Amino acid sequence: MNNLIEIHNITKNYHTKEGEISAIKDFNLNLKKGEIVSIVGPSGCGKSTLLSIIANLDSDYQGEIIQHNLKIAYMLQNAALLPYLTIYENAILGLKINHQLTKENLAYVDYLFDLYNLNDFKNNYPKSLSGGMKQRIALIRTLSLKPDLLLLDEPFSALDEQSKLIISEDVYKIIKEKNITAILVTHNIEEAIYFSDKIVVLSKRPAIIKNIISINCENNTSIYERRKDPNFHKYFDTIWKDLDINES
Amino acid sequence: MSPEQKKFLKNLKLTKYKVIFLQIAILVIFLGLWEFLTFKGIISPFIYSSPSKIFSTIIDLIHSHNFFIHIYITLKEVLIAFFLGISLGFIIALILYEWKFLAKVIDPYLTMFNSLPKVALGPLIIIAGGANIKSVILMALLINLIISIITIYNGFLCTDEYCFKLFKTLHATKLQTLLYLVIPNSYQTIITSLKLCLSQTLVGVLMGEFLVSKQGIGYLIVYGKQVFNLNIVMSGIIILALISYILYKFITILEKKLLKHI
Ligand SMILES: Nc1ncnc2c1ncn2[C@@H]1O[C@H](COP(=O)(O)OP(=O)(O)O)[C@@H](O)[C@H]1O
Ligand SMILES: [Mg+2]
Repeated sequence: MNNLIEIHNITKNYHTKEGEISAIKDFNLNLKKGEIVSIVGPSGCGKSTLLSIIANLDSDYQGEIIQHNLKIAYMLQNAALLPYLTIYENAILGLKINHQLTKENLAYVDYLFDLYNLNDFKNNYPKSLSGGMKQRIALIRTLSLKPDLLLLDEPFSALDEQSKLIISEDVYKIIKEKNITAILVTHNIEEAIYFSDKIVVLSKRPAIIKNIISINCENNTSIYERRKDPNFHKYFDTIWKDLDINES
Repeated sequence: MSPEQKKFLKNLKLTKYKVIFLQIAILVIFLGLWEFLTFKGIISPFIYSSPSKIFSTIIDLIHSHNFFIHIYITLKEVLIAFFLGISLGFIIALILYEWKFLAKVIDPYLTMFNSLPKVALGPLIIIAGGANIKSVILMALLINLIISIITIYNGFLCTDEYCFKLFKTLHATKLQTLLYLVIPNSYQTIITSLKLCLSQTLVGVLMGEFLVSKQGIGYLIVYGKQVFNLNIVMSGIIILALISYILYKFITILEKKLLKHI
């Protein structure tokens, strides 16, 4: 089968004054178009490092990544909206920086503002928004670039429980609708299950793949439906054991 | 509007009026007391002058001493030195920010120059530049430039790490990061440096005028001292206070505009 992106034998070491830090060891992953993969692992194990490498923000690593001119977008844990720009200016920042302020792209941004009921806030400034709304703006900023591959680095973990569910539903729906391929990094096991087709469980630093679990849910229309899947607890237990909280 | 809201707004207005009233009252009482004490001879009118004398002196200065020329000269020196200091400070801070290696190298020299009382360089400047406006501006520049560089540079350094990461994920160029992130993020510090630069400029200009000039308010003060006319000295000080207040006010207006949303 044709892979959208192939990641072979990624190994990464950081060099610091205090010495060498081995962050990732022999990481392999293939993604097909439209597939959603979650990466779970203890905090500090090297997940963000991995995403940076996949996003081509860090070229200092060993191994090989095979992909063909993929448009890759990266969404961070915090919205990082710029306080001196309006909501709308923040949303189109990615397009502006990449010189893509075309009619078509701006129409897509308008469509997303509509979709997320944010039209009334376009000319407001970020400080007037709730955490969930801010993350929605960050989502629009990321999606406006029409990525083939979407990298999500714990994008819901700073949100309160309710916003977390609402925003993850938003993200789930839009990537399903647009058939976007996505990698979600999270340390929340449930989130990983209801979000993805495949879960990669990583060890403590240096990140080594401990297990890869395929998730098959009967009803994929929304994360609410997926949460109700009869196998949900079985998946949860497997990952819980793989993560091995007591491992020293 | 509910009665409670109306009451709230009314109270807000009332407080504002109270503040303005008290501000004016303080001024009136101060001037009144000053006038009274000197009139009664309780404090020496020769040394401390008096509001009425200052007023008549200013009228007199306007007629006989080209008072406005002195104000104009000082204002010109202040504005030139201020804008030079702030723009050079901004440019040098930018160079240091982009070239951290250079910043590291010259750090001890910056610190040394910052702590040096620049007034000590006054005599040097007179001999090198002569007794003219240029020397006064140079004096002010020596005093205000270093503080502008240091505050603006530190403002640049305070840019949020996380926002840098965002710009990296958006594949922003160095210039874009500078224009859309680092500089706008420093508005707050830039305003602070404007205020610091202004006060330092006034110190520098006055110092320069004391040392070398033939015109300007600083000169007027020195002249007043030499002819033992302390009314002139006081008039100079009052005008100076007004000028610095007005210039400071301009900066606060800019501050309100620039930082409205932050
Ligand atoms: N720029 C860096 N220099 C040195 N060490 C780093 C750097 N970035 C991350 N690390 C280290 O690499 C490890 C993995 O970091 P990270 O990928 O951010 O973990 P995660 O996202 O899984 O929490 C951590 O131990 C962290 O301290
Ligand atoms: Mg991380």
